[in-house]
Amino acid sequence: MSEKSDVILCTCGKQLQLDYEILTDRIGKIELAKTVTILDTVCQDDDLEQIAKMIEKNEGRLVIAACTNQKIQPRIDQFLYSKGLDPTRIQYVNIREHSAWVHDDLTEASEKSVAMTRGALARSSTSNTIPTESKDVAGHVTVIGGGIAGIESAISLSGLGYNVTLIEIADELGGHLAKLPMVAPTGKSGTEVLAARLAALKSDSITILTRTKVKYVEGELGRFVVHLVTDAAEEDELHTSAVVLATGFKEFKPTMIDEYQYGKNPDVLTQLELSEMLTEDSLKRPSDGGEVKSVIMVQCVGSRSEDYKRDCSKLCCTFAIDNSLEILKRVPDAQIRIVYMDIRVPFENELIYAESREKGVDYIRGRISMVWSQGNETRVKLYDSLLDQYFELSSDLLVLSCAVLPPDGITELSETLGYAIEDDGHIKELYGKLRRNETRRRGVLAVGAVTRPQFAYEAVTDAQAAALVIHNELQGGRIEKIARGAVLVADDCVGCSLCAQQCPRGVPLMVEETDLENQDDEQKLVFKATIDTLNCHACGVCQSLCPSGATQLNFLTNEQLWAEIDAVLEGAGSDYPITLCFYCEECSVSTIDIVGTRKMKYPASTRLIPVPCSGRVSIVDILKAFESGASAVMLAACETDRCHIAGTGNEIAQVQVDVAQEILNAIGWRGERVGMYRMFSAEPERFTEAINEMVKRAKDFGPTPVHLGTAGKWMEVKE
Amino acid sequence: MKDAVLVIGAGVAGMTAAIELADSNIETVLIDRLPTAGGNALDLYKAFPTDDCFYCFEGSRSRPGIRKCFYRSALIDQPNLHLRTDTEVAEISGSPGSFTVKLTVGPRYVDSRKCILCGLCLELSNAFEQISPQCQPQAVIYRPDLLDDGAKKAESDCPTKAINLNAEPTEETVNITDIVLATGYHEMQPINVDEYSYGKHPNIITQLELAKILDPNGESGGALLRPSDGAQVKNMMMIQCVGSRDENYYAYCSKICCVFALKHAKIVSSERNGIGITVVYMDMRTYDRHERYYRETRDSGVRFLRGRLHLIDPREDGTLDVTVYDSLLNKYLRHNIDLLVLSSALEPPESNDGIIQLLDVQMRSGFIGPSDPFSENEVVAGDHLYVCGSATGPTEVPESVTQARAVVSKILQGRRS
Ligand SMILES: Cc1cc2nc3c(=O)[nH]c(=O)nc-3n(C[C@H](O)[C@H](O)[C@H](O)COP(=O)(O)OP(=O)(O)OC[C@H]3O[C@@H](n4cnc5c(N)ncnc54)[C@H](O)[C@@H]3O)c2cc1C
Ligand code: SF4
Ligand code: SF4
Ligand code: SF4
Ligand code: SF4
Ligand code: SF4
Repeated sequence: MSEKSDVILCTCGKQLQLDYEILTDRIGKIELAKTVTILDTVCQDDDLEQIAKMIEKNEGRLVIAACTNQKIQPRIDQFLYSKGLDPTRIQYVNIREHSAWVHDDLTEASEKSVAMTRGALARSSTSNTIPTESKDVAGHVTVIGGGIAGIESAISLSGLGYNVTLIEIADELGGHLAKLPMVAPTGKSGTEVLAARLAALKSDSITILTRTKVKYVEGELGRFVVHLVTDAAEEDELHTSAVVLATGFKEFKPTMIDEYQYGKNPDVLTQLELSEMLTEDSLKRPSDGGEVKSVIMVQCVGSRSEDYKRDCSKLCCTFAIDNSLEILKRVPDAQIRIVYMDIRVPFENELIYAESREKGVDYIRGRISMVWSQGNETRVKLYDSLLDQYFELSSDLLVLSCAVLPPDGITELSETLGYAIEDDGHIKELYGKLRRNETRRRGVLAVGAVTRPQFAYEAVTDAQAAALVIHNELQGGRIEKIARGAVLVADDCVGCSLCAQQCPRGVPLMVEETDLENQDDEQKLVFKATIDTLNCHACGVCQSLCPSGATQLNFLTNEQLWAEIDAVLEGAGSDYPITLCFYCEECSVSTIDIVGTRKMKYPASTRLIPVPCSGRVSIVDILKAFESGASAVMLAACETDRCHIAGTGNEIAQVQVDVAQEILNAIGWRGERVGMYRMFSAEPERFTEAINEMVKRAKDFGPTPVHLGTAGKWMEVKE
Repeated sequence: MKDAVLVIGAGVAGMTAAIELADSNIETVLIDRLPTAGGNALDLYKAFPTDDCFYCFEGSRSRPGIRKCFYRSALIDQPNLHLRTDTEVAEISGSPGSFTVKLTVGPRYVDSRKCILCGLCLELSNAFEQISPQCQPQAVIYRPDLLDDGAKKAESDCPTKAINLNAEPTEETVNITDIVLATGYHEMQPINVDEYSYGKHPNIITQLELAKILDPNGESGGALLRPSDGAQVKNMMMIQCVGSRDENYYAYCSKICCVFALKHAKIVSSERNGIGITVVYMDMRTYDRHERYYRETRDSGVRFLRGRLHLIDPREDGTLDVTVYDSLLNKYLRHNIDLLVLSSALEPPESNDGIIQLLDVQMRSGFIGPSDPFSENEVVAGDHLYVCGSATGPTEVPESVTQARAVVSKILQGRRS
């Protein structure tokens, strides 16, 4: 079923340096081209009307060769949808940024534009229309953890119209905040800050389960099942559409650090233990109930240390100062010394730092080297790095500002909730700059200190923001959108579970084959994958890994990509060696677009094919390119660890490239004919350097066995 | 436009808020007084914590969750979103929930929906410019002070008739339910801080200026050259807390200058080889995972010197003799360097004063604070008034974006109740 398409060529206001005669002539002769129309400004209103007319005539099969679709597609889509027309079949070719603007030779640039249009025609010939679909899900969200972040999540979600179950393992809500005598920067105690929120929780749409633990979770966005155990060991199930993790943090207990005597000397405590004392208004020496007249605080205990936590815990400098001021409120003449490396107090917290110095808190830059008891005194030996001297001091309390660590239980829950974990043990964000609350698993969000040390106000903001992310996903319970993504044909699935293991967002689920359920128990269980296209992020990783072609992107099937590869490489030989570049439509497309906008030049013996994510490209796709005559193949992808579409797609692509190189080496080609390069648009030369390198290799390595007619062996090796 | 929301300031915070609002079917007016959206981020090259570009932000709902560059943001093609650049608020009247806002718009010399960036005018006249390849809207801007014959020719030849050289500013009145303040920050120009000689010697610059030099899209293609004569920089020094933590200027800590200074130190030490770097600081404030920058820069040979700048003495050859008091060694040390980079305070933009006068909001060291400081709701600045991004005080991009989402979350909650 290869259908013909209409082609529109844009001249960009007659400013594009391309030979439109060559273009119309050559494209007109391509079998899959039905008509060729030249327009001057495709993106402007008159020409949009023209597009609308053409699309009506030809079932939407249209190839638009103009500037980057990243700019014009939203406008064209918008226009067509507003006329009730379906734009989903349109294929774009960028003859401006990817051709006319980057090549000096008019003929070569025109040839490249023809070839890439031929590719788009091939892609278009079997394109599908992509329907808008909808489904109903329960308007219910589960929040795990009842500290300030969890409480605020519940309030925000209920404010957005969802039913919420808030699960807390302890007897009461409030978490750590309830234990703080003073919450910076409010100047109020934790219980006061919590009061209004606890009142707001009394809503019909919020169910609170205290003394309840989540055992495990099944399902996916829109239909999770949370398995709970109550205090009384009763098990229960909860059906929910999304999960918010807000299980907070745990304070490091430095029992294993000998020099501090924590756990041995009762007058050595952690900052949180001091906070509790202050909250209960019971400031005294734990050893003998004596008055507290002098206090030494030690910063960075277990933080900024290669032996424990490498990073800074962010909150403890502020907490130490808050607690010092609280002590001074109660014992105005107390002698407080804070031993530190750097005092880290952000923004206006600097003002309380200044206040504390004015009130006589003594700051000593240095380290504690030893703590011991002498009679009923706690003795401390410390090194002052400013004076380059050792001192010995006594104090009533030694308070350790201990590291903020991830809470217990998150590794356990990650097994079924599927989120990733950061090196420091906190829940890993999907992308550090913009998607802090999303996790690897779609529908599972994380807020507050479970993601990183956070001040209370930051945890509150997190919770409010995550509620919006969930609302965007669940859309109030009726999810409606274009079902653009992977479609799985269950009959073709061989049950290998590769897609379920490698999908960067955890979308495919392995389910027990229903047909076999009724058979006797001896029967080996058979699993098959299912994919909810509406949950899919459309990266194509599953497609590149699936051994049987069971899962394919509905906008870029194997058939489409292979036809495109073949078409762009038509006639590629060794006298004009071609480098084929697959580029992801995230960082790579923008890098290449910016190269164009800046008119940076590179050789025209290059052909570019867009893929949603580099992870869409399989070994087979790479080998097909060589089979069709490419002299070199390049993958352009996002930076390591910064895969935009999903998180790990580029790493999967790297594996495909590595294996392709091994195969090529094994069959006596040169593995270096394939290359993978990482880029982002702030550094456009990353692309030009990469493509220059690949073009050079294509030239240097000479004809491939395909060109020489000696290929064929590798087909066997590939098996 | 019905029940619209006004977002003032189109930096990363304002853009995120506006796009989320528009995607939630809320009519949104996004204004910026500059000719393009993007704010400070357009000039900052690479961002911590991810070390990739500054230009990305969340895509729209049609491709959920996927990040986009500014230039792909479709800010002018999302039907609910009304972007007005070169625009300021002239007057706000009415009451919370139904404000009437008068805007001064333009002059709109170039119709950004029509400009196709064909490049014709750029060739004909210097009066036209594309501010950045990532600018949004993707259109040229026109500088009337550079008017020449070429500009007139461009006006008549522009293939889409996008240019109107005689455009006048217009007034627009919009009815608004909620206002989002996303007016951002400004990097202090330490002209008045005598001891740093800023403005007196070309090789004394701020971190923002350093970011522009390091940007491969900039004049030097990313090479670190001395502004005075274009010679390769061999030794540079950064001074922290310029104008911050200083009673004479800003008593607060600007919070992120330690991190971005080290981000720059890392770029220089690992990607621009052979340049010596010394960082002079009081406390190195690399919170949380940003500590990585401190570790990595120490490992790559960046020298850290705890102390204060004492004296700058320019030499004839363009270098600077800088004397620094080292508080650890209790000594004065002299360094000869090519480039002195000041980590200058992040201050509220001047225009905040006007807005604060028009609206009843709480100040927080000149930035916009929460209306109820005890609530810990940092994004709620008043009744139907919200604030996000660096308008709240110095913030990093991830915080700005999270705050912008929190604002939209709050607005949507407000509309339901
Ligand atoms: C040197 C330097 C390096 C940095 N590096 C990093 C980094 O690596 N990573 C990171 O996360 N962050 C970094 N930051 C911080 C980052 O720049 C900010 O977090 C971010 O840009 C803030 O965005 P915003 O939208 O809040 O404010 P802005 O970018 O300041 O945007 C505010 C916008 O509002 C407009 N505006 C202001 N007032 C008005 C008004 N009255 N009417 C109309 N429009 C108005 C302005 O013109 C501007 O466009 C850095 C900052 C500096 C100075
Ligand atoms: S901007 Fe793109 S669509 Fe518009 S005229 Fe130029 S090439 Fe054509
Ligand atoms: S916040 Fe202060 S005490 Fe805590 S780890 Fe960081 S520098 Fe150390
Ligand atoms: S296309 Fe990507 S996101 Fe969708 S199911 Fe496949 S691997 Fe997962
Ligand atoms: S001539 Fe017109 S369309 Fe072309 S860049 Fe200039 S303003 Fe834009
Ligand atoms: S962040 Fe660092 S440089 Fe900036 S004001 Fe604070 S301590 Fe000084």
